[in-house]
Amino acid sequence: MKLEVKNLYKKFGETEILHGISFDVESGKALGLLGRNGAGKTTTIRIIMNVFRANQGEVLLDGKPVEKQQVSIGYLPEERGLYPKKKVGEQIVYLACLRGMKPAQARKNMRRWLERMGVEEYENRKLETLSKGNQQKVQLAQTLVCDPQLIILDEPFSGLDPVNSQILKDVIQEQIQEGKLVVFSSHQMNYVEEFCEEIVLINRGEIVLSGNLRKIKQEFGHNRLVLSLVGRSGEEVQELVRERFSDLAAAVGCRKEQAILQLVQGVDKRRLMAALAEADLDVEQFGNYEPSLGDIFVEKAGDQA
Amino acid sequence: MKQFWTVLKFELGNYFKNRGFVTATVLIAVIVAAVIIVPTMFMGGTETAKTEETGEAAVLAVADENGIITDREQFAALMPGCSLEFMDSAEAVEEAVESEEAEGGFLITGASSYTYVLQNRTMFEDKQALFEQALSWNYRNAALQEQGIDSTVVESIYAEPMQSEMMILGKDSAQNYWYTYVLIFLLYFMIIFYGQMIAVSVTTEKSNRAIEILVTSVNSNSLIFGKVLAGAISGVVQAGIILGSALFSYQACADAWGHGLDFLFRIPTAVWITFLFFGVMGYLLYAFVFGMVGALVSKTEDISKSSGTIMIIYMASFFIAIYGMMMPDSMLVRVTSFIPFTSSNSMLIRVAMGAVAPWEIVASAVLLGISCILVGMLAAKIFRFGTLMYGNPIKLSTAIKKIREK
Repeated sequence: MKLEVKNLYKKFGETEILHGISFDVESGKALGLLGRNGAGKTTTIRIIMNVFRANQGEVLLDGKPVEKQQVSIGYLPEERGLYPKKKVGEQIVYLACLRGMKPAQARKNMRRWLERMGVEEYENRKLETLSKGNQQKVQLAQTLVCDPQLIILDEPFSGLDPVNSQILKDVIQEQIQEGKLVVFSSHQMNYVEEFCEEIVLINRGEIVLSGNLRKIKQEFGHNRLVLSLVGRSGEEVQELVRERFSDLAAAVGCRKEQAILQLVQGVDKRRLMAALAEADLDVEQFGNYEPSLGDIFVEKAGDQA
Repeated sequence: MKQFWTVLKFELGNYFKNRGFVTATVLIAVIVAAVIIVPTMFMGGTETAKTEETGEAAVLAVADENGIITDREQFAALMPGCSLEFMDSAEAVEEAVESEEAEGGFLITGASSYTYVLQNRTMFEDKQALFEQALSWNYRNAALQEQGIDSTVVESIYAEPMQSEMMILGKDSAQNYWYTYVLIFLLYFMIIFYGQMIAVSVTTEKSNRAIEILVTSVNSNSLIFGKVLAGAISGVVQAGIILGSALFSYQACADAWGHGLDFLFRIPTAVWITFLFFGVMGYLLYAFVFGMVGALVSKTEDISKSSGTIMIIYMASFFIAIYGMMMPDSMLVRVTSFIPFTSSNSMLIRVAMGAVAPWEIVASAVLLGISCILVGMLAAKIFRFGTLMYGNPIKLSTAIKKIREK
């Protein structure tokens, strides 16, 4: 299964929120939709889910509009919400039946998912009596109760403690391994790094970066090195490089004790290493720079971007 | 269609599993039955009633210092339910009234004049009229005797009752008034009460944010039609149980009542059919509008503010109905019996109390039915549009404009 989002434009009143968003993702993979608050992630997801219509552009699933596809979709909206005064099990079964499931199967699946989330003892309790974290788990059970092929999760980790986040991470990993197509939005980069092969970074309604995460990291790290010296801080190392090795590398930033260096055109890693050895510096760490997703995010979507 | 049934079943469950709803229905039905059945247990023999009546006779003190009353026994017989105590002086009468030995007193000052003495005057004072009647009889009697005429002959001439029969060619409005009134009131309560409940149920889904999952799982037509029809069915079932309890109880003890409540419960089939069709359709029409109101606000406390206009429209329809019951064939009732928002009341009145041609009923029914479907469809569109708009209540006109733009 392949989900294609093509050239989405969306206006609310006179304000254009999305200015041509395009990406695609296939089954068995997870796509992370990243961006700052208000970047347009939720609007994009709502258009995929047909909550809103785009002013321009289309969303296709295996080449056909999503609404015409008889595919089961599991959706966890950003605005979490179920019936607070209804019993947990009852409302999950109701929502599963609305999505076409038979009541008996819906009940079976509901119990399986409540158990998987570790909240099976609350099946006959009213939702409002559960803690926020448990309510979120019920919400996730509701998302997955129909065994959906396409799973769309809007900020799934917000409000979860580390233990519950781990349960959710495991569940998402299982779904990916089962060949499901997962799209989720987040601004918590560590989760995205853990299971996303593909990312799309949206900033102010535009895609500023997209593609395979590993490749993106490599490209960002290209010709960049990290250097740390025993007994010196990152800033001191940066200063030293500027003073003594500016013909070989430029200091472009620092990360704790490490300075991040950009090799000058035509200079390779070995030449710089030789120069450092010649200068008789006590090198603690020297190697290729691998940026974190957080670094890339800040560079592409930060205020300076 | 399957989704519609799922929504309907779930929403019906919300009503019928609600303890308050069940308790209120059963309690009202039991109270209504009790009000009809219990009094019949005390409607035993007439003798008992008479004894009670005598026991409760009001004591009245009378001072006839000048001997105006010619036949005291006859005079007392003219004042049923009163026990007359003749006293010697005006003071004695006043004393008896003051000490509450007598409920009131009369001082006869001349053949055609008297003073009524009483401690406190209440709204419902009927003793004076009785006394005046008796004194007037006494005066006539004395005056006729003075002229040498036999007063009993004259009195019997005056008292001859006229035999009459009424042949009503149209409808008996006096007879039909009460059950029409009850049916109009029943509809009023159903629309106001359930309308609000439907609006609240829509807004609640919006305020607890379940709506985003709902609109992505089910089409909005199934959702709004399921919700509104569930409200409608619950209302009809509740009203049916209460009304059924009343009718059944009366059926069982109509003889004990001496058919005294026929004016409330003997409703002709034509009126029933009109009430069922126009009542249910009118109710649905308003229910859809209340559903729209629910979709246009984000908080339940805003519902009353936004439902103001529709409430005014319904109140107008209700007051036209109350006025119309006095003049069922007036132009106002005729015109409003064709307007969908008022026809549920006005057509019922025309069928129950006025003159109406069959084509008029059919035309009005068709108009109401079509309006119901159109408003239902509009409600579904507004619902889809309004449910994801949070913040301040949206005006209906703005919502319609926005839907047209799309």
